Amino acid sequence: MPQEDKSIDRRQFLKSGIRGAAVVGIVGAAGLGVSKTRKSDTVWQIDPNICVSCGNCAKYCVLEVSAVKCVHAFAICGYCDLCSGYLNPKPRELDSGAENELCPTGAVKRKFVEDPYYEYTIDEELCIGCGKCVKGCNAFGNGSLHLQVRHDRCLNCNECSIAAACPSGAFKRVPADSPYMIKTKVSHG
Amino acid sequence: MNRCGKGTNAGLFALIVVGLAIAAGVVAVVRFDVRGEKGSGLSRDYVYDTAELGKFDPKLILYDESIRPIATNFSKSRGIAVGLRGDIFVAGDRAVRVFGEGGVLKRDVDLDGQPVCVCAGDDGTVYIGMRDHVEVYDSGFNRLGSWEGLGEKAVLTSIAVSKEDVFVADAGNRVVLRYDRSGKLVKRIGEKDAERNIPGFVIPSAYFDVAMAADGLLRVTDPGRHRIEAYTVDGDLEFWWGKFSMDVDGFCGCCNPVNFAILPDGSFVTSEKGLMRVKIYDPQGEFVGVVAGPEQLVETGTARIGVTPSEDTARGFDVAVDGRGRVLVLDTIKNTVRIFTRRQGADAQGSE
Amino acid sequence: MIRKSLILSILLLAVPYAAAFGAERFPPPEFESGYELPSPTTPSPRVDVFEYIDAVVLFAALSVGTYLVLKKRSRRWIFALMVFSLVYFGFYRKGCVCPIGAIQNAAMTVFDKSYAMPVVVLAFLILPFVFTLFFGRVFCAAVCPLGAIQDLFVLKPIAIPRWLDSSLRLFAYLYLGLGILFAATGSAFVICRYDPFVGFFRVTGSFNMIVAGICLLVIGIFIGRPYCRFLCPYSVILRQFSRISRWRVTITPDDCIQCRLCEDACPFGAIRSPAAKWRGEDYSVGKKRLALLLVLLGVLVVFGGWVASRASGWMARVDWRVRLADRVYLEETGKVSDTTDASAAFRATGEEIKELYAEASDIEAKMATGSWILGGFMGLVAGLKLVGHSVRRTRTDYEADRASCFACGRCFTYCPREHARLDKLKNKEEGK
Repeated sequence: MPQEDKSIDRRQFLKSGIRGAAVVGIVGAAGLGVSKTRKSDTVWQIDPNICVSCGNCAKYCVLEVSAVKCVHAFAICGYCDLCSGYLNPKPRELDSGAENELCPTGAVKRKFVEDPYYEYTIDEELCIGCGKCVKGCNAFGNGSLHLQVRHDRCLNCNECSIAAACPSGAFKRVPADSPYMIKTKVSHG
Repeated sequence: MNRCGKGTNAGLFALIVVGLAIAAGVVAVVRFDVRGEKGSGLSRDYVYDTAELGKFDPKLILYDESIRPIATNFSKSRGIAVGLRGDIFVAGDRAVRVFGEGGVLKRDVDLDGQPVCVCAGDDGTVYIGMRDHVEVYDSGFNRLGSWEGLGEKAVLTSIAVSKEDVFVADAGNRVVLRYDRSGKLVKRIGEKDAERNIPGFVIPSAYFDVAMAADGLLRVTDPGRHRIEAYTVDGDLEFWWGKFSMDVDGFCGCCNPVNFAILPDGSFVTSEKGLMRVKIYDPQGEFVGVVAGPEQLVETGTARIGVTPSEDTARGFDVAVDGRGRVLVLDTIKNTVRIFTRRQGADAQGSE
Repeated sequence: MIRKSLILSILLLAVPYAAAFGAERFPPPEFESGYELPSPTTPSPRVDVFEYIDAVVLFAALSVGTYLVLKKRSRRWIFALMVFSLVYFGFYRKGCVCPIGAIQNAAMTVFDKSYAMPVVVLAFLILPFVFTLFFGRVFCAAVCPLGAIQDLFVLKPIAIPRWLDSSLRLFAYLYLGLGILFAATGSAFVICRYDPFVGFFRVTGSFNMIVAGICLLVIGIFIGRPYCRFLCPYSVILRQFSRISRWRVTITPDDCIQCRLCEDACPFGAIRSPAAKWRGEDYSVGKKRLALLLVLLGVLVVFGGWVASRASGWMARVDWRVRLADRVYLEETGKVSDTTDASAAFRATGEEIKELYAEASDIEAKMATGSWILGGFMGLVAGLKLVGHSVRRTRTDYEADRASCFACGRCFTYCPREHARLDKLKNKEEGK
């Protein structure tokens, strides 16, 4: 059946034509893509100047315990004795006893530096990223406590679940080579 | 591959399982809350409720805001002061603006830098605090000169003027500087000095206020200790008053009060950040009552206190007092001067 | 260049912060005890090098898979590679980034000037395309972890009618369309959001999506690879490429002897039985039907576009900025008196409400256009499916459908010719 062979040939020819076009198309598109791609990956980060510490970070992360933790920008901390990120707003006693601690998991640690200053650090093992201390610190203090995605924990999902659930739009894709937005002391002027 | 017909029972079973699984899957996907609309779901232990903290007995309010606020038209308002004849000086952006008692803009003085605070002397001389130095103008706003810079760390936040001296609060260096009227540094007041029993100021942020009282003693805030301290012009610490409390009679948070002013009768008008409160204390430092609380100051109907970052940065309202005893509050969120007048027949409530 | 401008824009963003945060400029206390300010720790993200390794592994897996499917013809080896891929791309790499999700990165790269997809993601998207164009759906067979996890659950497959199979596949086209549309408008990566199996790979995740994943696996016991067949947006693209692939999976290693033993071999309903040429009268009826369908095609495209455009408002609300604009509008017009976290946060940024409205309207406009295109596309797909079903192909042998075949290799051992080949190989080896 020479006729049928011919039709198959024709189909084959058509197919390879389309295939060739597809390959060229894909490679071309990829080339265009490469011209626009960044070599470096992007990672998710919280812009602390937009974040309202709503608490969603603690719940919406795909990890059992969120990749978002409180970070302390020491450079802008006031080292207060009555730290509003550390103590309950209405402490029963004016001391740093555990019953007065603000953090429900006890992740904010306090260390005496010198009169009248205290250093506060975050125990990341205990921190769940709820942002309660961040609220306290923002409300009364300098806002040195703030939430950040910790990249040793973050899975860097293509779409971050917390970003989707973030009411303030504080989650951003940032270049992987500058993966943090730590609040910093800015030089004068 | 098993055809459906292999056993009707097996086929039926498979159909039922598949049907149930589809139904369950669809329900799960529909219930899946990607948008965070169900909130964090954290228990009350994890919630920081500032609105609750800001509540107090409304009967304590002694003042009313009955006059329309004056728009400063600054994008960032920084400091307020009352000058001669009740003129209202407002520092902000890169200018100082002078408003008449009625709120009419009388002068708009452009500056080379960003002013932080402003103060006018009896003779009409105007002292403008830039970040690290003082600029001096005469009553007609002719520039008389500027005083020497105070260095990298300096953050000037307040100026007070007496007959002979000018007192400048430098929050960055944690000191009050006493100058004579010519700009010569006379004394450094309030630095830590164990021999003179001066503990040094605890100033965690750029809020540090100074004023001269009628008794001739300088009043200075020590926000980290939640008090207002009285110093002689020679730098001796005489006494202090004030205590920490989230309740309305104390100073809240980690560092308050941020600003204050002295009424003609010697009472104090204090301003707090965190819980935005402007309150009255008598000359001895006893709580008298409230000018305005968070509900009056921040947002009508809601007490949104320091939940959002930009408000957090602009939350230390400066206060001033005019000759008629009106309290002027510089609203750094809305960039207005808000004017509070004492209610008719308002009694001092806190002095019992 | 892009990187530079990005860094620049970040710097530009940082400047107002410096001005806004008076507290930030403020010097910390002068400690007399010699205490030095610590710096917060900043653990680095996974190094890029590993991402390149992932791409290399992907390429290797595709190559090995191709060899196993086309040359080695061994289901056992294909299965082994599939399990490896499940472990590596699934459980070890936590199922992210995957080619399926990369579609969205590509869409966003095209439509969002400020976004550019990383090279590795591009490689993940492109490599399976190229392999499919030449060798068929080897990626689905042995590399995709989502396919792999489902393949393990193909236990009691039942056949479903072809019309149903074909109709259900419309969901996948819709999913692809929505995925691209929402990524193009920068609203969401829905394909990632509703990934049903990623929760298993991470051994944690949203309860609801894990339940959905379990449901799919349960369905998969009876209806093989339901996600691949009826939902997977990537499979929709691979199907088209597979149709024109240079080489393909053949059930028999050489000639079909029409023994019909393979007829029930495929759990995914991809084996097509021989079909005779149409008789003359059928031909004329078919021709008329085809003409009718071609007219209908146009109608379907317009109708689909119209239907989808009705839903464009709803689709625009997937974007949080549009929802925020709605909320702020309610607050501004006094219809509600309180604020939400979102509206409070927006107001705190000090941005103009007008600009938010403009941005939201812009997204709504894009979504309106996009929904017409999406609907038209769906109409076209549905129409072409009908056309496809009324065009008759002649087939003399049992063959795997080019588009639907996952290249899993289950059918190989059903063919007596394959056994003959294997015996020959064995004898050859023994003969050595």
